[in-house]
Amino acid sequence: MKMSAASLRIAAFVLLVAFVSAPQLFAFVFEPLTENGAPAIYNQGSLLSLTLAHLRTVFGAVVASTIVAVLLGIFVTRPAGMEFLPLSRSIVNIGQTFPPVAVLAVAVPIVGFGEAPTLIALFLYGLLPIFENTLSGLTQVPPLVLDAAKGMGMSPRQRLLGVELPLALPVILAGIRLSAIINLGTATIGSTVAAKGLGEVIIAGLQSNNVAFILQGGLVVALLAALLHDGLMTLERTIASRLGRSM
Amino acid sequence: MIEIEHLSKHYGETIVVDDVSLRVDEGTITVVVGTSGAGKSTLLRMINRLVEPSAGRVLIDGQDTMSIPEDELRHRIGYVIQGHGLFPHRTVAGNIATVPRLLGWDAKRIAQRVEELLLLFQLDPAEFAKKYPHELSGGQQQRVGVARALAARPALLLMDEPFGALDPLIRSKAQDDLLTIQRRLGTTVVLVTHDMEEAFHLGDMIAVMDEARLLQYGTAAELLTRPLPGFVERLVGTAERPFRLLSLAKVGDAVEPGSAEGEPVDVSSNLRDALSRLIWIGSPTAPVADASGAIVGRISVDGILAHGRRPT
Ligand SMILES: Nc1ncnc2c1ncn2[C@@H]1O[C@H](COP(=O)(O)OP(=O)(O)O)[C@@H](O)[C@H]1O
Ligand SMILES: [Mg+2]
Repeated sequence: MKMSAASLRIAAFVLLVAFVSAPQLFAFVFEPLTENGAPAIYNQGSLLSLTLAHLRTVFGAVVASTIVAVLLGIFVTRPAGMEFLPLSRSIVNIGQTFPPVAVLAVAVPIVGFGEAPTLIALFLYGLLPIFENTLSGLTQVPPLVLDAAKGMGMSPRQRLLGVELPLALPVILAGIRLSAIINLGTATIGSTVAAKGLGEVIIAGLQSNNVAFILQGGLVVALLAALLHDGLMTLERTIASRLGRSM
Repeated sequence: MIEIEHLSKHYGETIVVDDVSLRVDEGTITVVVGTSGAGKSTLLRMINRLVEPSAGRVLIDGQDTMSIPEDELRHRIGYVIQGHGLFPHRTVAGNIATVPRLLGWDAKRIAQRVEELLLLFQLDPAEFAKKYPHELSGGQQQRVGVARALAARPALLLMDEPFGALDPLIRSKAQDDLLTIQRRLGTTVVLVTHDMEEAFHLGDMIAVMDEARLLQYGTAAELLTRPLPGFVERLVGTAERPFRLLSLAKVGDAVEPGSAEGEPVDVSSNLRDALSRLIWIGSPTAPVADASGAIVGRISVDGILAHGRRPT
């Protein structure tokens, strides 16, 4: 069972790397999907560089969401910040309910075309899961453990860094994973505002009515998502099992 | 020495601790006993300022605790709670090292101290140092909790129902271990419990609390022979009283001249155990031997019973 999970993981990774670096090798798979001699493999740019650009955008957005959401989560669980909890919740929720496409439409006139409006849209979209998980992670820390920490003379800062955050880590990581997975898919819309990414492949397919392109773009995004999910999940499990929790 | 002077705590209208004064001598175990909600934990937590007193003060070796920064105060006072409160993300060694690390000890000194404590608590360092708390039994977790509290050699140890989560058998062993270690280290201990049996077993001094007030403070023998009528008397348990008195006295206190047949009893064992021996073997007397095995006299049922009798 464990063996096959590991080999599946490796197979998926090898497939992904092989496909983005030498897509022509897979042309035979996509040929049946093309009509009138249209190209079977995306030919308006390198799949590899588009994949890397896509990942870079998602990574940047998730790092920014993580920093803001975790700091905000810490702030509203401190005595001084507690009164801001409802307010921060509503703001973060708006970030999630406001559709990313609409964010793009609003952002483009302000920051121009390219990667910037996409980053803004993904950043806002990814805040909620990380914020909510930071809150639940920090509030789940057993009161007895905190009482012991305080009783041994740990300062509020030492308690936060040495006890609360390490114990909340698996839950926070789950939030980051959720946010990253959502953003991997959502980032494809960035191509409508000229951000480099795998959305280009899909949009090119839509414009030229080429199902092979659409499928390729979708496939790479899906493989990335699966691998990322799997990797982060493994990390969460490792940390959680050390804490004696099962996930 | 700890002096608690007119200590009170109220939350709004509710008085949780009401004008409690008591003195705890160096190197002794004081047990605060009472029913749940009596204010015992609050009293204890005012000593290390986890709870700020509404009135009154606490002096440690003559120094007002309010004059010491609270984290520094707590580094000097060991604190053990029910269910131990170990850090789940740190190993046994990491848990024990908590206060020494806060104090900035160097790694070598910390490692030595951790090993020393593990040995003191009968936990093999090679096996246990790297384990996580969830890999330990309840009794082992409890021992690590006490070891952690003792790591920086505090002169004072506060324990809030430290054995409350243990099975009766393990609990009684843990109590004996605490006594042994406390006698060896000379640590001053203030321990909170709702278990009168535990109070008699461990306490050099016993403080009985009820409804926020300290009702009686004295040695176990004083509580047994002159309990305050009412709550203390009921708590001490009238039926058990003679037997509790007997467990407090040693064979040495009742040894009489003369000889007797049979297996000798140890001069340092308690009279309750000696009496049960005599009942079991069906003999009115037994010889008494000292630590070296030499016979120093004998003990008799009548002599023992006199020690369990109401003082006149
Ligand atoms: N922070 C608090 N706010 C209000 N009431 C409290 C607080 N802490 C304790 N109490 C109340 O004080 C009383 C005594 O509590 P405690 O000292 O924990 O008693 P014990 O340890 O003897 O069981 C209880 O009735 C409890 O509800
Ligand atoms: Mg209590």
